[in-house]
Amino acid sequence: MLRRVNRVLQRLLELGPVAHVRALASSWHGRVILLVVVGGLALPIHYYMPAHRDPHDERYAWRMFSPMRMAKCDAKVTKNGAPLDPYTEFHEAWVTLAKRGRFHVIERMGEHLCAKYPHTDITFDLTCKYLDDTTEHYGGFNMCTVPYL
Amino acid sequence: MAKKKQRSSKPRPRPATPAVEPATPVDAAPKKSKRSARVAPVRAPAFWFGFEVAWAKLATARVVMFALLAIDALLQIRHAPRYGAGDFNVAHLPFLDGAAPGRTGYEVGQLLLAYLFVLAALGVATRVIVPVSAAIYAWLYFGSHLDSYQHHYLVALLLGIASFVPWARPARAEPSTPVRSWAVRLLLVQLGIMYLWAAISKMDPLWLDGRTLGAQLGGSLRSLVDSTVGLKVVAVLVLVVELVLAATVWLRPAWRVAAPLGILFHAGILVADLEIGLFAVLMLGLYVLVVPDRVWIALARTEKAAMQLVQRLAGRRGGVAWIAAVAAAIAVGILSRFEHGLAVALASCAILAAIAVAVWWRGTGMSSAAPLAHVCALLLWLVVDRASTVAYDYYRFWGSSQRRLGDHGQAERAYRKLIDLAPDDALGHYQLGRVLIATRRAADGIAELRTAQTLEPARARAFVEEARWLALDGKRTEAIERAKEAVRVEPSSAEARQLLQALTSNKRPPKPVASRDDDAESP
Repeated sequence: MLRRVNRVLQRLLELGPVAHVRALASSWHGRVILLVVVGGLALPIHYYMPAHRDPHDERYAWRMFSPMRMAKCDAKVTKNGAPLDPYTEFHEAWVTLAKRGRFHVIERMGEHLCAKYPHTDITFDLTCKYLDDTTEHYGGFNMCTVPYL
Repeated sequence: MAKKKQRSSKPRPRPATPAVEPATPVDAAPKKSKRSARVAPVRAPAFWFGFEVAWAKLATARVVMFALLAIDALLQIRHAPRYGAGDFNVAHLPFLDGAAPGRTGYEVGQLLLAYLFVLAALGVATRVIVPVSAAIYAWLYFGSHLDSYQHHYLVALLLGIASFVPWARPARAEPSTPVRSWAVRLLLVQLGIMYLWAAISKMDPLWLDGRTLGAQLGGSLRSLVDSTVGLKVVAVLVLVVELVLAATVWLRPAWRVAAPLGILFHAGILVADLEIGLFAVLMLGLYVLVVPDRVWIALARTEKAAMQLVQRLAGRRGGVAWIAAVAAAIAVGILSRFEHGLAVALASCAILAAIAVAVWWRGTGMSSAAPLAHVCALLLWLVVDRASTVAYDYYRFWGSSQRRLGDHGQAERAYRKLIDLAPDDALGHYQLGRVLIATRRAADGIAELRTAQTLEPARARAFVEEARWLALDGKRTEAIERAKEAVRVEPSSAEARQLLQALTSNKRPPKPVASRDDDAESP
């Protein structure tokens, strides 16, 4: 079996990487292959880059069942300082996403509430507890003036 | 799209052996560009363009994968009420924010997908249907963060690649006839990439010490792991298995390792009862492509009689089957309990008509394959509808989310549909009663609550709700009687006891307990 595996790998590399890519790029079929392979290998890297500001957003990174998925966040919403029940404003599926700490979703929820209740202070206080027993706190600002967590 | 393999006019007899890796690179790229006439032709890498699988395997993969996707699409319909609820959405891709599906769009999209997937499974117009399905699936997935499961992302990618697979049966193909397809290799490479990154994400102390697995694993498998090797060993094993699969799943000679390992791995995930819906089953379906070709060739030969019968049925000509298919669509549409079942069933007739026009245009004869597939697709709707709680859940979740968001009109509509669907189920009557009372139609509301009390005589909630309304209406004595009844029928109900205590001590009735909203959708 190993000899056969070796033969296939030799076939994969026989043209050399540059010639292989060039050969692929010369037809539209090959360009599709390049797009899928290069994109597939490269896209998940974004999660591990320092620029990726939301550790809870594991989309497109193939991090199924990861430790981060186990984070539990408590999302408190206030309107002019008074607690606001998110379940009366958003479908429970959105609240669940907020409880998973998804920054982008929370920021859009804030934007939605600011538009719905103009001239008010809307705050999201996000406290996340991780599997290693550490706790992080995010937000707490008026999202109508600082629309980011 | 999937390009038909170029063949000479005289069919060449094919060897009755499983497809193998070609010995030499393919001489020419699949399609020459205009420039290629002037410059030297580029050798197409045989790794991609020489990849062949037996027709028996490709056909089995087509049937299994698309049938599973069809069932999955129908099961997804219960999630439709999330979409567009409260006029809020966040799309995966920002430009889709304005074009994201709402409840109706999502439901109709999934019904249509289920229909198209069955047509694809049965090999009807795959060159058009698979890309169209891929586009609809991508729209539904990328249209909202509500669907964030990575397996749906994987399915969206695989459908995109599957659009380039030649799923249609080549002329005079036998089970062992090799079919060349770079897209099948790409499907397998995509799986390998997924396994690689999944393994990388597990190179984390919190995974390796078994804590992450321990937080997710439950049921009998958890007991088995705890009583044998322990979580830590299993966590390391999962990482190793994913790395091995990443390296072997796309390599034909290594399929003897990848197939049993991958099937065991995903069967284990299935037993683990993780909240991933049909994903583990779908992954097992994908392993049809990894199981060595000779298995499917042998299976196809043993089932020769059945396959010939199917081919004979599908090959039969005549307009009767087409007319029967339209009649079946109307019948299934009427019997279907999905909200837009009839409309989509009628729309499916338009798809069938388009296929008929294409068949007539090409002059290939009006075989019964398309109408047969059409009937099978619609029957699947009916089977899934009747054998599952999808339609029931759809109305239940729709009603509950709209009630919570304060849209009583939509909530009432949903609960009335729920009652039509399950008149003997107390939940619809109970929730409708609450909505009617909230919208100042107390007499109708109380009548619904009374129906609920009859249907679930051992539950306090409908009695509690009636007592609460009587108290707020100033009928304290009657309220106390109903609260006593609530405690009598369900002595363990803390809410009933609290209400009775408040009423007998002349206090305001306590606010409803949130946990009583037992029709909330768990995302």
